[in-house]
Amino acid sequence: MLEEIIKAYNEAIFDTDRERALKVIHDAVEQGISPEDVVFKIVIPAIEQMVKSISEDFDANLAQHFMTSQIAAEVTEEMLSRFRTAPVIAGRVVIGTAEGDLHSLGKRIVMGCLKAQMIEVFDLGVNVPPERFVDAAVENSAQVICISAMMAHTARGENGCLRVRQLLKERGLEGEIRIIVGGAPFRFDHDLYKAVRADAWAEDGISAGRIIVDLIREVKP
Amino acid sequence: MINGMERLVTAIKGEKSDRIPVFCNLLDQGAMELGISIREYYSKGEHVAEGQLRMRERYGHDNVWSLFYVGKEAELLGCRKIRYAEDGPPNVEDFVIKCYDDIAGLRVPAELKEHPAFREELSCLEILKREVGGRYPICAYITSTMTLPVLLMGMEKWLELLFTGPAGVRDELLERCHEFFVKEINAYRDAGADCLVYSNPFGSTDTVPMKYFLEHSLPWIEKDIKAVGTAGIVYYCGTSRFNRVIDTVLERTGIGVYYLSPLDDVAEGKRIIAGRGLTCGVINDLRLIDWSGEEIRTEVKRLIAAGMPGGKFLFGTCVMPYQIPEENIRTMLEAAYEFGSY
Repeated sequence: MLEEIIKAYNEAIFDTDRERALKVIHDAVEQGISPEDVVFKIVIPAIEQMVKSISEDFDANLAQHFMTSQIAAEVTEEMLSRFRTAPVIAGRVVIGTAEGDLHSLGKRIVMGCLKAQMIEVFDLGVNVPPERFVDAAVENSAQVICISAMMAHTARGENGCLRVRQLLKERGLEGEIRIIVGGAPFRFDHDLYKAVRADAWAEDGISAGRIIVDLIREVKP
Repeated sequence: MINGMERLVTAIKGEKSDRIPVFCNLLDQGAMELGISIREYYSKGEHVAEGQLRMRERYGHDNVWSLFYVGKEAELLGCRKIRYAEDGPPNVEDFVIKCYDDIAGLRVPAELKEHPAFREELSCLEILKREVGGRYPICAYITSTMTLPVLLMGMEKWLELLFTGPAGVRDELLERCHEFFVKEINAYRDAGADCLVYSNPFGSTDTVPMKYFLEHSLPWIEKDIKAVGTAGIVYYCGTSRFNRVIDTVLERTGIGVYYLSPLDDVAEGKRIIAGRGLTCGVINDLRLIDWSGEEIRTEVKRLIAAGMPGGKFLFGTCVMPYQIPEENIRTMLEAAYEFGSY
């Protein structure tokens, strides 16, 4: 039965059909699937399936990323309140767009996927100064700083990732906090993340989730 | 001496001139050219025209632009706050539509030509037309109906409305955007623009699934093009790939020029267009910031080798980042002139 539910949910996600996806989930709960299984056996595997399809299939696109992430976050939030025991938080991240950058879509896709994976996300919004990224990471004991930038000058600028790295170094935090970057300039130049001294980059918001989980594992005691 | 317009017209006809047309989209660099800030540069149409003319003279490419920055369209529809940078394009800072109720209040100016923001664009176009009209193609940028809401409410809110919002509200907004689109393109044509770059990331399967493209994006593309005709229209999806939809768009709209994504396979795009239109092979110009001279020449050579055989080909750039060194702009263009020669 679970296999059929997973298939139906995945099809709805790929068709960017929120109502159908939510109906599949609600029907599953009525049929006795536990809230834990909904999240861990349906929602998270659907994200992983999307990551797989992105690497294999040209027709995985921005709208699907957005809807996958939003539905995942919505279902997870609903199911969490019904969990028998509170879930273990897998890690903490702070996220924002680089200083001077107002493009927030990529950040939102990443946030939706991370929430479904039990990662606590602190959203710093758009146009975030480098000091704010580092201060917020320290305040919230975050393992990863996620910086989104959609333009060449904000991705490469002195007040973007480069400055965040410098601050981490100055404060002796490099062993405890990783930096990941994402956004169009990184898609068009796969080595750019090294030039701006990030630890990693993600091709898209959906794939970012898995990479961030790996970064958390690197530094989490 | 042969000029850019002759090269373009010859290429569209499938004939040979001295070389393929080469479009180099330098925008913010005009401020550097004039030695003023980007904010000051975009405050006057005469600055933009002067920047465009000087850069075309300096580098020898085949086109000039009347575009200031993409957010200008939002200003024409009520945006009052633009964020300027010292080394990059201006961006919309305050969205006109903050909630669905704002859509009913969205007003398309009765007469675009009277709008102060548009008057500066017209002033730019007037100078360009006077100085290089008929000799070098003047490009104008028009956001499609389906994509214009991104400038008015942001991509997040637009995707929300498209996929989960009330259809009536969505359609009302699209009708307003279409009304604006038609007015804008007609105003540009009246003012002498030759190449009308129809920008539509929603016309790419990088943005929406093919099914959605066919059911929603394509009907609006057809409606846009039916309303304004195909003359001078360039299909462009803002660096998103669109080889998969070229055949459908060509069949259903008759658009004759396709400005590919740097991530599209140029040879494949050309094969799909199959002589029915002009293929524009586009370099990944973000890499021009760091590439060596040799790397630039190799990439230009590769693109031109993929697209030039059989003619009906143009070499172009996206919107060139401000950070590209002048030397690299020259290296790219000189390579394009060399490898693109007949």
